[in-house]
Amino acid sequence: MTIAAVASLSVVRLSSSTRNPAYSSFITATPRNFRFPKDSRSLSLVRVSSTHKIRLSPYIVRCSATQDAELKSTIDKVVNSEKVVLFMKGNKDFPQCGFSNTVVQILKSLNVPFQTFDILENNVLRQGLKEYSSWPTFPQLYIDGEFFGGCDITLEAYQNGDLQECLEKAMCS
Amino acid sequence: MGVSKEDVEGILTSAMKPTHLQVVDTSGGCGASFEIEIVSEQFEGKKLLERHRMVNAALAEQMKEIHALSIKKAVTPSKWNPIPKVQEE
Repeated sequence: MTIAAVASLSVVRLSSSTRNPAYSSFITATPRNFRFPKDSRSLSLVRVSSTHKIRLSPYIVRCSATQDAELKSTIDKVVNSEKVVLFMKGNKDFPQCGFSNTVVQILKSLNVPFQTFDILENNVLRQGLKEYSSWPTFPQLYIDGEFFGGCDITLEAYQNGDLQECLEKAMCS
Repeated sequence: MGVSKEDVEGILTSAMKPTHLQVVDTSGGCGASFEIEIVSEQFEGKKLLERHRMVNAALAEQMKEIHALSIKKAVTPSKWNPIPKVQEE
């Protein structure tokens, strides 16, 4: 991947973190410490902030097999960071797609706490998740670290009660 | 050039051998988004997510061009209960 191609990736800074290649600056002293390789050209998708919230910090990606393993490992941690994780277009306050909005409204109506990630802001995450979930579209709902489904599945499960059951099980575990 | 409704129907027919298939192009003919209803014996014993994955897998090549796919129904013939189109008085 040329520098120009890499630079053309959508890189959006979600927080005021420094572009410090040393990942020690990303790892705060919290119960959830994510270890990242100390390589300035590697991808760091996840940063644990002082408020214990998971924030995405997209950086320039180095294309390699090691990168795929790192990406997978990062996604593993993100989907397990909360009981209910939704990868969507936009965020829970401003969904930018009808399908994503449907899932957000369903989860809000069930009063279940959930974390959202905007895949429009991170193309690496967007493509990585399609492979990770073996699912070609968004939104993608994860419950207790496991892929639950997209909008159609979530809606059907909500209508027949399966979603509520699954959420209850996840919350109690 | 988007994917046509006929392409989707053809692929799903040969892959899933459905007893009922309805494909609607919801992008107004642009081939960007589709709604699918499919009934097939191949779904027997499969959970909801697996059934949807089967449809996705059949359309894997087309998914590169399709923007959105909505699988309204993916059930076995025994679970299929179509709403009658004509109400008899």
